Amino acid sequence: MGRSWLAGGPALIRTRALVAVGAMLRSCVSRLRTLAVLRGPPGVAPLPAKDPWSPRVNPGAGRRERAAKPGCVRGDPRSFSSEVIHMDLSLPNPSWNEDMRLLFDQFMKKSEDGSWKRLPSYKSKFTQRTEDIKIYFPDAKLMKEKLSQAQLFPRSLEEGLGFEYAMFHNCVEDRTVCIFQGGPYLQGAPGFLHGGAIATMIDATLGTCAVVAVGVAMTASLNISFKRPIPLGSVVVINSQVDKVEGRKLFLSCNIQSVDEKTVYSEATSLFVKLDPKTRLT
Amino acid sequence: MIRRGFQAVIRLGHHRVLPGAPHVLPRLNRTSAFGSSTDSLVSRFCLEKTDLKDYALPNASWCPDMLNLYQEFLEKTKTDGWIKLPSFKSNRDHIQGLKLPFGLAATSDKSDWRIFTRCLQVEGQGYEYVIFFHPSKKKSICLFQPGPYLEGAPGFAHGGSLAAMMDETFSKTAYLAGEGLFTLSLNIRFKKCFPSAAAGRGIVPVTVTVPAQDPLQSKEVSPGSDW
Repeated sequence: MGRSWLAGGPALIRTRALVAVGAMLRSCVSRLRTLAVLRGPPGVAPLPAKDPWSPRVNPGAGRRERAAKPGCVRGDPRSFSSEVIHMDLSLPNPSWNEDMRLLFDQFMKKSEDGSWKRLPSYKSKFTQRTEDIKIYFPDAKLMKEKLSQAQLFPRSLEEGLGFEYAMFHNCVEDRTVCIFQGGPYLQGAPGFLHGGAIATMIDATLGTCAVVAVGVAMTASLNISFKRPIPLGSVVVINSQVDKVEGRKLFLSCNIQSVDEKTVYSEATSLFVKLDPKTRLT
Repeated sequence: MIRRGFQAVIRLGHHRVLPGAPHVLPRLNRTSAFGSSTDSLVSRFCLEKTDLKDYALPNASWCPDMLNLYQEFLEKTKTDGWIKLPSFKSNRDHIQGLKLPFGLAATSDKSDWRIFTRCLQVEGQGYEYVIFFHPSKKKSICLFQPGPYLEGAPGFAHGGSLAAMMDETFSKTAYLAGEGLFTLSLNIRFKKCFPSAAAGRGIVPVTVTVPAQDPLQSKEVSPGSDW
């Protein structure tokens, strides 16, 4: 690359950067699919489109079209040929503010060498994960109808109104980082984020961290210490890691910081439990 | 390992400035929230004549259990001194005129902001809840029916959605008891999975007791009746 990369002025650099980002995203996706396939239990094939457990295709798919980023994850038939097309919501959209986009780009840049990985996120669980869950929650079959209406809580609100977030996993240091922008429907005290919304994001980040580490796990306890209120609409960074593993118990902790790392908003510790197929949960 | 119900402990406190130490939160103006008696706080909170929509009322998505418990507590509001708290779309509507401490005031007054536990507007999709408060016992009970959009693991409620419900109940109770405004810490032990997709099948009454006098006491949540 060298000097030729810089020649041609800012517009050309932007275009080349976007092409590079596109190529990088495609390689990220294929790596993630490999990871997902490796994680799934042997012999479990992705579900065909007609299965009632599969989420319906979101008719609002057009909103997520990012013409500026070719080869993005959502709806790319080359990546999801045998599965129902999901909408990956961990990607920039018009509601993301400057700080959010900047952070996202920084992490995507860090993902170039493979030490970081962007984790996709959908309105309901992966079809492969759903297969896992079915083993652990056999009674869930009885509620199939209602389940097909269900949506993952942090993704249940419309674009920009609730939780806008993206998670990145550092494979080398084994920690998960979530960049989060809280929308207007997450209010608690006027002008600030609801404690429960903060708790939801902490639970989601720690849950992702646990799942990446051991597979299917559920929250057993959550201890959150709120140090400063988070203004509504601001962007925060949640850093989480696994502290200790004892058999099926996972001890995780995280903190919530501002973008410039000068303010610590919250700290939390938690206990997650890896699910045992032999133990019923209900 | 798994037992019925769940327990949570929360610590709320007056934000005193420690001598010699940089304080984390600005001092709250006592006259704005804490100086008032519970009765005056309740009367300012429960606006009798208002155009605002009260979401804490029965609707078509409520299951029979929820309706029965609601009727039971409604009876108690006439006889035992319980008060049904209204639930508006924003906390700003509840605490009109409340002065937030310096440094915590919202930078802009946006009317499209909604309180988190009323974020999903379609009936039955998200949070369906009512809080009953007893001013002299400083105790409250929240009847909560989770909807399918509160899902975490397929078929079960998201841990965060339950944490949010608990935090909401705690903060309303603490505010009306004159004990606090912002949550300092929240400790939750999840004992049993909570089906969310079974909307209409599972409700949990959450009981919050605020011990009188000591502002730094932890508040116990006792598990509600079995569902």
